[in-house]
Amino acid sequence: MHFTIDTNTFINGVQQANKAVSSRTTIPILTGIKIRATATGITLIGSDSDISIETFIPSSDEEHEYITIHEEGEMVLQAKYFAEIVRKMPGDALTLKKEGQMAASIASDNVVFNLNGYDPDNYPRLPQLQEEQVFQLPQYLLKDIISQTVFAVSSQETRPVLTGVNFTITDKELTATATDSHRLAMRTISVEAEEALDIKNVIIPGKSLVELNRILDDREDMVTIVVTSTQVLFKIDHLLFFSRLLDGKFPLTSHMIPTEGKTTVTLSTKALNRSLERAMLLSREVKNNVVHVKSVGTDQLEISSISAEVGKVKETIEATDLNGEELEIAFNGKNISDALKVIDSETISVLFTGAMSPFVIRPMNEKQMIHLFSPVRTS
Amino acid sequence: MSTQPSRTVFLVDMQSFFANIEKLEKPALEDHPVVVAGDPEIRSGVILAACPLAKKWGVKTAEALWEAENKCPYLVVIKPRMQLYLDISVNIAASLESFTDEVEPYSIDEIFVEMTNVLSGVGVTAEEAADIVITKIYRETGMVARVGVGPNKVMAKMACDHFAKKQPDGIFHLHENNLQEKLWPRPVGDMFGVGTRMERHFHDMGIRTIGQLARTNLSDLQKRWGINGELLYWTAHGWDESPVTIDTHIRRKAIGHHMTLPRDYRSWEEIKVVLMELSEEVARRVRANRYLGTTVTAGARGHDFFNQPSGFHRQVKLPDPTNDGHVIFEAVEQLFLTHWNRDPVRSLGVSLDGLTTDEARQMSLFAPDHEREELNHTVDHLKNKHGDAAVLRASSLTAGGQALLRAQKLGGHYK
Repeated sequence: MHFTIDTNTFINGVQQANKAVSSRTTIPILTGIKIRATATGITLIGSDSDISIETFIPSSDEEHEYITIHEEGEMVLQAKYFAEIVRKMPGDALTLKKEGQMAASIASDNVVFNLNGYDPDNYPRLPQLQEEQVFQLPQYLLKDIISQTVFAVSSQETRPVLTGVNFTITDKELTATATDSHRLAMRTISVEAEEALDIKNVIIPGKSLVELNRILDDREDMVTIVVTSTQVLFKIDHLLFFSRLLDGKFPLTSHMIPTEGKTTVTLSTKALNRSLERAMLLSREVKNNVVHVKSVGTDQLEISSISAEVGKVKETIEATDLNGEELEIAFNGKNISDALKVIDSETISVLFTGAMSPFVIRPMNEKQMIHLFSPVRTS
Repeated sequence: MSTQPSRTVFLVDMQSFFANIEKLEKPALEDHPVVVAGDPEIRSGVILAACPLAKKWGVKTAEALWEAENKCPYLVVIKPRMQLYLDISVNIAASLESFTDEVEPYSIDEIFVEMTNVLSGVGVTAEEAADIVITKIYRETGMVARVGVGPNKVMAKMACDHFAKKQPDGIFHLHENNLQEKLWPRPVGDMFGVGTRMERHFHDMGIRTIGQLARTNLSDLQKRWGINGELLYWTAHGWDESPVTIDTHIRRKAIGHHMTLPRDYRSWEEIKVVLMELSEEVARRVRANRYLGTTVTAGARGHDFFNQPSGFHRQVKLPDPTNDGHVIFEAVEQLFLTHWNRDPVRSLGVSLDGLTTDEARQMSLFAPDHEREELNHTVDHLKNKHGDAAVLRASSLTAGGQALLRAQKLGGHYK
């Protein structure tokens, strides 16, 4: 293997593949990045066995010539050193050449690195997916769906399915749901897919989605998503992002969303979030971030928080609208605040169903996003 | 004052607590006079506790070390290990919870126990129950306990301090009928709530015995000392309405329950029934102490553990803190079905740790936490009022069940 490539183009490719590489893997060869040179371009692969990223750099496009392939071939080089070396190369171009069995020389201007590698034949093959269940989404929408749900996944390994986001598709409508059993975030969206496509219980690890979100851009370009029973593949331009799916059954959540309640409140998203953040100044040291909310008259909410050691805070905020029974409830303020941060709408509507039962927050005039919370029982 | 329903309260006091712990920890000291003193290096340190042997030499608690050493030249002086004493104290209080939830640590070596509802259910006299308590504490910790029995906390305390400690069996029952004969002749300074200054005031008024105080005009006492004067008057009459309150300040590591079975249990069906009973019992005590816990431990042993060890001891972490017996049981069941090798079982244990206060509990979206809490509190209430047998699982009536049998015993002991 021997090629010369535009340094910046190569840096981008290596950095993307490197996102999947973990230093804590139990399989030594996965600490490396696989490089494959063919006549059409360079393929780079990184993997931690949960996530795999394959990115392709074409030799040329309409405008530029990026690569000169002198000799085709494959190598696996230690990602930790390789990615840093490439990034710090001084020249506009660099040359990578196989030396001996598995080592490589990387040269640019007057700099030459010699780096030992692994046998590329031992690098695990990426999964070959049956492309039967396929749908498409614009990148920016996929990015939205992920950031609007993934924050609600569980960080505890005691219930592994809850560490992922559940994707379902029926009638060309995609629903993404995440819950840690105390709060739930759900987002629905129309997708381009075959009429008959019916996908259930596809649980993508939250960690994979966070990583994918770093790669996605706010662009209109379509992402093609391929689903099998154990893997999901996102195809983005010249990049393939594979993730393992979580085993197990995601809890049934559709029936949990209350449609009728005892008290409804409409208020400013920002005003509520700022108030919660103030309340949590005192309660954040305590495990539950407990914030108390009480209705005052017909247009105000009293928000308060008490910490036995530190002190207490109380404030009232205006509600645009407040209907129904008097309200007195306590909840984890951090959970609410997390959800408010992913709501674009300036006003939200909140539906309370009692002091001890779940309540719903939705962006105003928006049916496609739902946040559900379970209260905290105090005293 | 209205007639109160008749109560039975124990004050359990540990004899020479610190000194006896040290003697148990170091068996070589058994025949030596031992004291625990502030700092053995400083001869002006104060005696915190003296063992009965040292007391025979005339050594007294709270006197200076040099005084004690003058009286008893062979005195062994030990530096206090408060954490150790505190741990043992907490263990004893926890052990007394096998009788009732209403256990109130009063000081490091004194514990109030509300026995009212316990005794009515099992047909044991207060004295018999006190003897069971003393035996249990001795068996489990080696500590010698004395029990003052009274119709309320004040009487139990005085029964213990002035009488039980002088009885050979360490038990004294002070009640309405022997109050005038036993308590009233005693100097007024012996009364609970009367310190040296108050004693002097009473002496100035010509009140020298508790009986004289009881016969004093109440309004005179009220005029002079307000509410405190009234309180002392009622104390002299043996009246006190303060309840035994469960102490939630002692941070406990775990709440567990262990049971030795009457015979070897071989089938899962039988074992399951007992595990369910143990889980419910643990949950009840967790609730009574206002905790939630996250780690469930289950264990089993064969009948001859020391010669033919068999059994296991495993734990699992729950997704959310709980105080529900059913949730505990589900975890116990999972542990058992994974680790039990089908050997016959003679004893079973369940415990919950990772305890946190239940003041604020995050409800789950999936589990009906609130409904379960309401149900459990209702059951707790019924059991406290009508005895442990008031509400039982139907499975407890099957051959393997122990709950009904235990409800007829006192803290798992035969009458």
